[in-house]
Amino acid sequence: MSEKHSIVEIWVYLSGSPLFALFITLAAYQIGLSIYKASHQNPLANPVAIAILIVASTIQFIEMPYSTYFEGAQFIHFLLGSATVSLAIPIYRGLSSLKGRSIPLIASLCTGGLVSIISAVGIATMLGADSSITGAMYPKSVTAPIAMGIAERIGVSPTLTAIFAVSTGILGAILAPFVLNALGMKAWWQRGFAIGIGAHGIGTSRAFSIHPEAGTYASLAMGMNGVVSAVAIPVIYHLFNR
Amino acid sequence: MIFGLVQILLFQSLGELVSKFLLPTLPGPVIGLVLLVLWLVLRKGINPDLAMVGDGFSQYLGLLFVPAAVGVVLFLPQLKANAWAIISALIGSVILTIASSALVARLLSRKESHE
Repeated sequence: MSEKHSIVEIWVYLSGSPLFALFITLAAYQIGLSIYKASHQNPLANPVAIAILIVASTIQFIEMPYSTYFEGAQFIHFLLGSATVSLAIPIYRGLSSLKGRSIPLIASLCTGGLVSIISAVGIATMLGADSSITGAMYPKSVTAPIAMGIAERIGVSPTLTAIFAVSTGILGAILAPFVLNALGMKAWWQRGFAIGIGAHGIGTSRAFSIHPEAGTYASLAMGMNGVVSAVAIPVIYHLFNR
Repeated sequence: MIFGLVQILLFQSLGELVSKFLLPTLPGPVIGLVLLVLWLVLRKGINPDLAMVGDGFSQYLGLLFVPAAVGVVLFLPQLKANAWAIISALIGSVILTIASSALVARLLSRKESHE
């Protein structure tokens, strides 16, 4: 009896401190990374998706309310803002690759950004999704930390946006080679840039694993898409939702 | 490494201030990002401390949005009810987005090279 009592006490103590949430988040991500490496970096074994699955199932299983988990995990969450600022570094490095190709790249960025929003929101609306779902689709091609910032500004769920952004990244990383081959795209910089617009960070790491030039252009596209979308999506969203 | 973090946090704070008082539609960190790019262009280079912190963040960027994404547990019924619409929209949109951006880039760069 007293032994059981003390276990409960330890449990109450642990689950009340940030330690438990921080531990399962980092441990789940580490498991995700190991699986990703073991699968030879197969985009289906995305470490973020695996970590989300493990943590979500764990807190469901032990019946821990999400708010309790987040109270601890907010220390990781807080770093999103700093990580967003640090995206300046890959953008700065990519800027020199922009020279001489700025017109096709900027046009490609604007087209891709608009097609992403119109097609996602259009298809979801046609198939009867409600407005909280379609609203969260607007920034789904933007890198998740910026996408969540945009979601907060336009008043849709940052969680749904993060889920859609991660799914988009995984789908894009898997489907991009087929789409680009079907179109007969040959230039690495064009292939990389298109992947960066459509599939942000997850697509970018896939592009880097295929060809360094594709990777550089993918990370430039991801950064430019993030900045341009942060400006444009609130405007577009209010235009369509008036 | 500490100096790199100091720079990142400084630009993040500047971004938050600008967002709060001048540009409320833009998230503070995005303004901080733009300011940092401008600063790097002016300085014409990245110092090693900043590069180290920046590369660290981009390597493990995915970890940072796990806490928010785990909130998916609150949306499970809604996601299930809309599963077909969500899956079709995500797959259709990613194909169209990648295809259209690639085609526009190729079309315009051909025109450029002919001139």
